[in-house]
Amino acid sequence: MDSSAAQTLVHEPSVIYPRLKIRLGRVITYAILISLALLMLLPFLWMISASLKMDKDVFRYPIEWVPAIPQWSNYIAIWTRIPFLTFFANTLKLTVTITLLQVFTSSFAAYAFAKLHFPGRDLLFLAYIGSIAIPWQVYMVPQFIMMRQLGLVDNHASLILLQAFSAFGVFLLRQFFVSIPDEILDAARIDGMSEYGIYFRIMLPLSKPALATLTIFTSVAVWNDFMGPLIYLTSQHLKTIQLGLRMFIQQYSADYALIMAAALVSLIPVVILFLALQRFFVEGIATTGVKG
Amino acid sequence: MSTVSLRQTTIAAGKRRSHFKKYLVAYSFILPNLIGFAIFTLVPMVFSLALSFMNWDGANQISWAGLDNFRRLLTDETFGISLRNTLFFVSGNVPLTMMASLGLALLLNQPLRGRNLFRTTFFFPYVASLVAVAVVWNMLFFPSAGPVNQVLISLGVQNPPRWAASVDWAMPTVIMASVWKGMGYYMIIYLAALQSIPSTLYEAAAVDGANGWQKFRHITLPMLTPATFFISVMLIISSFKIFDLIMVMTGGGPGRATNVLVIHIYNTAFREFRFGYSSSIAMVLLVMVLGITIVQFYMERRWVKYQ
Amino acid sequence: MPRLFAQRNAKFPVVLLSLLVVLALSGGVFAQDAAPVALRMTAWDVATTPYWQALIDAYEAQNPNVTVELTDLASADYQDVVNIMLSGGDTTDIITVKDIPGYSAMLTRGQIIPLTDLIEAADLDLSVYSGAAEELTYEGEIYALPFRSDIWILYYNKDIFDAAGIDYPTNDMTWDEFDALARQLTSGSGADKVYGGHFHVWRSTVQLATVQDGENTIIAEDYSFLAPMYNMVTGLQADGMIMDYGELRTGSIHYSGVFKNAQVAMLPMGSWFIATLIAAENAGEFDFDWGVAAYPHPEGVAAGTTAGTLTSLAINANSANQEAAWDFIQFYTGPEGAQVLAETGNLPAIRTPEVLATFAALDGVPEEAAEALQTTTVRLELPMHPRVGAIEQVLNEEHELIMTNSISVEEGIAEINRRIAELGEE
Repeated sequence: MDSSAAQTLVHEPSVIYPRLKIRLGRVITYAILISLALLMLLPFLWMISASLKMDKDVFRYPIEWVPAIPQWSNYIAIWTRIPFLTFFANTLKLTVTITLLQVFTSSFAAYAFAKLHFPGRDLLFLAYIGSIAIPWQVYMVPQFIMMRQLGLVDNHASLILLQAFSAFGVFLLRQFFVSIPDEILDAARIDGMSEYGIYFRIMLPLSKPALATLTIFTSVAVWNDFMGPLIYLTSQHLKTIQLGLRMFIQQYSADYALIMAAALVSLIPVVILFLALQRFFVEGIATTGVKG
Repeated sequence: MSTVSLRQTTIAAGKRRSHFKKYLVAYSFILPNLIGFAIFTLVPMVFSLALSFMNWDGANQISWAGLDNFRRLLTDETFGISLRNTLFFVSGNVPLTMMASLGLALLLNQPLRGRNLFRTTFFFPYVASLVAVAVVWNMLFFPSAGPVNQVLISLGVQNPPRWAASVDWAMPTVIMASVWKGMGYYMIIYLAALQSIPSTLYEAAAVDGANGWQKFRHITLPMLTPATFFISVMLIISSFKIFDLIMVMTGGGPGRATNVLVIHIYNTAFREFRFGYSSSIAMVLLVMVLGITIVQFYMERRWVKYQ
Repeated sequence: MPRLFAQRNAKFPVVLLSLLVVLALSGGVFAQDAAPVALRMTAWDVATTPYWQALIDAYEAQNPNVTVELTDLASADYQDVVNIMLSGGDTTDIITVKDIPGYSAMLTRGQIIPLTDLIEAADLDLSVYSGAAEELTYEGEIYALPFRSDIWILYYNKDIFDAAGIDYPTNDMTWDEFDALARQLTSGSGADKVYGGHFHVWRSTVQLATVQDGENTIIAEDYSFLAPMYNMVTGLQADGMIMDYGELRTGSIHYSGVFKNAQVAMLPMGSWFIATLIAAENAGEFDFDWGVAAYPHPEGVAAGTTAGTLTSLAINANSANQEAAWDFIQFYTGPEGAQVLAETGNLPAIRTPEVLATFAALDGVPEEAAEALQTTTVRLELPMHPRVGAIEQVLNEEHELIMTNSISVEEGIAEINRRIAELGEE
């Protein structure tokens, strides 16, 4: 990590500011960032601390940040108390499938909304945005009735079909696509490239940061979704991590130490994904700097 | 004579055909998403909105209600309270989250040591499971012995707020939690947008002798407008729809101090089984949000710079 | 009328039911049919609560042709999910009734079938449920039979009492005596403070005691009967004799943690907590002696009067196996089921002396339990009422406001009266 940061330092010399000014600015910047980062991390430090306590001590005040006797066994208990591994696999399957479908269909549609002209475009787009405005709680019962009649309840297919075609993805990508200069596309059209060719060979490579963004957002949303699996998945072998976390909250008790341990473990894949996709945010500069 | 007109019509038909083909191509791009979206989201959604003119208990026959449900809104005390609370939440959450996320993105767009680590850190709160976020946040703001109030007391504050446990402070506490959770998310959109600004623009400006502020004002901000437009629309919509975070943090309380529209929608549907009435509240929400969005779209034409 | 989705014919259950009764009366020709039957049943906390499966195993052993599969739903959202499932036309045969608002919602909308005729046909004696069956009866029909019934008792930390040199609570203690005792037992400060009493954040911890006398129920027109109990609890809170409600809420502080950490001397709580405490003690989570006593009672009310909660079973109106489901329910809620349930450390709805003896003989159950669990009268937390869900919502909200000192007890009661009256006008 440090070496890559150092590399970016070398690759992006600040031709903009005089050196001295930079140094003071840098100090202030780091001070702000570090204090903000601590504020962001404090809750996670607490989660780590709580995950190593006995449940009865989790909400004992004042907070004991370093548990006297760390309960490492909590990290074993989450795998044995509930079928956490199965839940992990299910969540992974849903997340990958839905994210792939969503990024593909959304970027396809977003290209048309951003760069092509056809009758009813604006109205259809408004319908998409309007649909974002309606809370899911309002239509989840009719949706459930429909899914049941399709025979898809208690099946991963129901969640995949419900979440793969989101208006959000279309809107997000459209906003990025419109900022890609029309001249590039026109030049390609004059060269005889079809719209599909333009989409695959120009739009997609140029919008890697946006695609990475949508990938992260969709993955996190699916990974952390609770209500969807709650309603649609009732068989134990189909359930997801978020349902698993709630299994530690029972009718008359709640084991928050285990919840925190499981929540932390379930964070790991998302953080890995985020770090893996980071490079696209940096790469963006080089690839979109094509405007002449 | 006739040959000319004949040729003209063939040209017109050809043009129409080429238009038609172009439209067909455009629709083919939209169709994969639209089919799934229309069947699985739009259809149940339209059905639900139609329910606002009907009565349905979720089990038995649906009956026509006309405008009864909307008339009832006028006398529903909890609806008034939840509408006011929602507007309070929107007016706090939207500007604060936008400013925080833009500020973070600008800071982290600079070549800094360890910026990947910082970016990940700021995105952390969004990734964390909600059930954990709620307990953790309430723990930080625990009235007597939580870290926040301990700091306040050490700074000499006599009676620090009781945060989520007090009617007056519950909503600000929820707003702070929401900004904390959301700013990393919108920061990413801003970062992606910042990365898409061609560096040649800055180089050209540097040649013209522009200073940092001028570059920000005349290059960065205008080039960020599509992202800003997206973020403002999404933030307003999602703030109007706030549900999960409040449900797990305060459950709408104390009393009805943080009861927002979607909580009221949920309660009328799932505690009282008035799906029709619950849809009519959603209808009000939709009209408000759509109204704001259309105004934003109109403004977009005027201030969003697409190249 | 628009019929947008296929709706259940309201007459269908009635027709089916009469058919079933005829079948049952005709000598049960089909009852011994060994054709395999697969039943499904909704439940919660299956992974961590052994009794669901223990009872099913016992039934399946007797009925080899029947299999019962549990659908495990998250406990906190159980009723919401069941409601959505039923709205979608789900056919799960047996629906577990978790609370009265859920029961009310399902029966008033015809989603579970009345059992009255079946009970008559099977000649069941409902008096074994010591009044619970009457509480479940609505407009002359009963739609569910209880199998589990928890009552409210008083838990206390013997070590704290011994250290203070105070006698243990008796099975005949008034709330005024509880109040005085809690004040005596509070000691220390800061992290080491010991609180005399503890009221968990639930509305019921305060409001249960107000209906113990049987003169009022939680569904009323004038709620002034709530005042004495609220005055007592807010008084204890203001004087620091119990933990602060707002802190319990925002700190997610659970009663089990504070009791296990010996931070409270007396804890009024449901009998389900006995099993939790035994398990924690065996796991070495705490090291002190604890006991149980009968729930305190208001002045002038007989000792042993308490409040309870029921867990019951009902038959889905959409079930295709209603006959088999009924047979299963009779076992689950009957004396055989009760015996199995007691062996798992839970209190069955049937309280025969044998069942109570089985429970009291379990390893770790404190010796006082046998007597403390002897109740004279059990009142239901919430009575059956078509609008009980909406009413409970109002009561919960005002409870929060009173307990966070956002409004006074008088203001809170006035608000409850006003809002409940408005609900009635609709």
